[in-house]
Amino acid sequence: MGRPTSSSSSIDSPNHFAFSSTASSQRDLTTDLRLGLSISIAPPYVREQWPPMKAAVAEEEHECNCSTFYVKVYMEGIPIGRKLDLLAHESYYDLIRTLEHMFHTNIIWAEAEMDRDHYEKYHVLTYEDKEGDWMMVGDVPWEMFLSAVRRLKISKC
Amino acid sequence: MQKEMAYSFPDEVLKHVFSFIQSDKDRNAVSLVCKSWYEIERWCRRKVFIGNCYAVSPRMVIRRFPEVRSIELKGKPHFADFNLVPDGWGGYVLQWIAEMAGAYPWLGEIRLKRMVVTDESLELIAKSFKNFKVLVLFSCEGFSTDGLAAIAASCKNLRELDLRESEVDDLSGHWLAQFPETCTSLVSLNISCLGSDEVSFSALERLVDRCPNLRSLQLNRAVTLDKIANILRRAPQLVDFGTGNYAAELQPDVFSNLAGAFSSCKELKSLSGFWDVVPAYLPALYSICPRLTSLNLSYATIQSPDLIKLVSHCPRLQRLLVLDYVEDSGLEELASSCKDLQELRVFPSDPFGVEPNVSLTEQGLVAVSLGCPKLQSVLYFCRRMSNAALVTIAQNCPNLTRFRLCIIEPKTPDYLTLDPLDAGFGAIVEHCKDLRRLSLSGLLTDHVFEYIGTYGKKLEMLSVAFAGDSDLGLHHVLSGCESLRKLEIRDCPFGDKALLANAAKLETMRSLWMSSCAVSFGACKLLGQKMPKLNVEVIDETEPPDSRPESYPVDKLYIYRSVAGPRFDMPPFVWSMDEAVKILH
Repeated sequence: MGRPTSSSSSIDSPNHFAFSSTASSQRDLTTDLRLGLSISIAPPYVREQWPPMKAAVAEEEHECNCSTFYVKVYMEGIPIGRKLDLLAHESYYDLIRTLEHMFHTNIIWAEAEMDRDHYEKYHVLTYEDKEGDWMMVGDVPWEMFLSAVRRLKISKC
Repeated sequence: MQKEMAYSFPDEVLKHVFSFIQSDKDRNAVSLVCKSWYEIERWCRRKVFIGNCYAVSPRMVIRRFPEVRSIELKGKPHFADFNLVPDGWGGYVLQWIAEMAGAYPWLGEIRLKRMVVTDESLELIAKSFKNFKVLVLFSCEGFSTDGLAAIAASCKNLRELDLRESEVDDLSGHWLAQFPETCTSLVSLNISCLGSDEVSFSALERLVDRCPNLRSLQLNRAVTLDKIANILRRAPQLVDFGTGNYAAELQPDVFSNLAGAFSSCKELKSLSGFWDVVPAYLPALYSICPRLTSLNLSYATIQSPDLIKLVSHCPRLQRLLVLDYVEDSGLEELASSCKDLQELRVFPSDPFGVEPNVSLTEQGLVAVSLGCPKLQSVLYFCRRMSNAALVTIAQNCPNLTRFRLCIIEPKTPDYLTLDPLDAGFGAIVEHCKDLRRLSLSGLLTDHVFEYIGTYGKKLEMLSVAFAGDSDLGLHHVLSGCESLRKLEIRDCPFGDKALLANAAKLETMRSLWMSSCAVSFGACKLLGQKMPKLNVEVIDETEPPDSRPESYPVDKLYIYRSVAGPRFDMPPFVWSMDEAVKILH
């Protein structure tokens, strides 16, 4: 049991994003390797829903920033969500980079191209707008997105 | 005819006597004495507590107790807190509200825990009860600020509105403005769970201004630090206060304003909130720290030195909730400063990290057990434990009533000897004779359950995960724990034998939850057939349990006693094993 951590099938391979060549070179490969190894030797317990705590208690440490806009981010299959300050990002690219790092996956959004043969390594990023509809991220200008977004969801392809 | 029976008092006298009897247990005992006492008691019972909303129907409650003024209901099983209960499972309050609306026009208090409360339910409450005073929604979901607006607008004498840990669709902050100018009765307001949308702060300020009896106020994270002083100056009588986010750039005038505002609150005993804490603002609390009995820092991501400084100013502390940033050193300081400590909860700051990010071990808990003789309630997340430490803790704290230990990695053995932690937990149940609640973790064999069955005579709630070797473990608990009411088990090799052998025990308990164990579908069906007073429900989100062989284990099982029969609001992924309910999916 174990997930391959070499570059050929890992989430590091750079050739499936139009813009990502800089993004992936900044990725921390040692972190990915270490996590990949630890997951591969971990016992086959359900990693989700453990340890037994309510989601709200484990908040992320973040910088003091008087102007913040936190939204919840859930990844499909993982019941404990994360929180992300959208105002700490300047653009969609910035946001995507943070999310890919946070959730260790490749993100599909309005401006991403993907390798259709390996769709299982991708997740689609959507957001819930003020009307309660789920929309793909990236279609409207960033500022408009900020005024409409209520929460984010990362779903399997 | 010999002598007049001395106890043929007029009903009014009995009623008056009964009115001094508040506890449910005593009231239940009173009602069993004779038929006339049963009748008199049921007409004057004002408060009903229903620990499982499916154990009885609204109609049955109303029929027996026609003049209830206060009701408390609990819905989902406790493991719902950890996302083990799928959405849509149940726990809807609407039917209860609808029936009580007709039967209890004078209902004044509704307290709900882990229930699904819709805006429709809230609107119905607002419309139906003219004397409505108390609404507590603890860990509930399904409603929005629109529903809250209805409550605020209609409930003229509202005293308590407490939304702690609920999931609210925060559509707008304007619901607060719906409290009429004539509403001056608020005593307690907890909106700490509300989202990051703007709370209408001016409406909040005006509300606080006109409610002189406000004792308890918990703000949400959206309220910034600079606003705290304004609120506190309007409510210096507060006893319990929850800040919003406690972060700002350090400015001397903001600091001194804040410190002054806190010091004017002479009754303040309990603090919480503290999102995004900037340590430089903690000294603003120092003037009230000597009076503090309760401090909830579970959102405060500050490091040990700052925590130590704060805690050392609070010698009267009885209750502390904190992140593991406190570290062993912080807990040692706690042990030396806070001799009145009764309750300690330490939460993990990085629960999913593989390596420990802080120096918090069993040593911290041992230090507190040594230094705090009044310790009664412990919830402790850590990454290592030893039998020796547990034995020491048990010997130091024989008065423990609640002991919940979560060693983060499942099946972790004693780090010194690599033995299972059976002996350590055994010492806990043996020495702590009043233990009512216990959560186990670490490497555990059937032996620990033998200890629990032997010594855990007052144990009412037991939580078990990744433990045990065989059905013998479950059998020890079910046959030995005389006071057991709630048992929740996940990922243990417990199967059919112990469950079927102790079926009668299940009727003496509120509920049993078992997930990822080895109980077969066949055994569930058998239990459902043989035990009509139990509701046996199988939860499976992937496929119907009868599409597989009967010997196949079920994914999740929830068994609870009920006088209402099987429920009819089950979603497609919940199957009742009651013979009367056809499996139609």
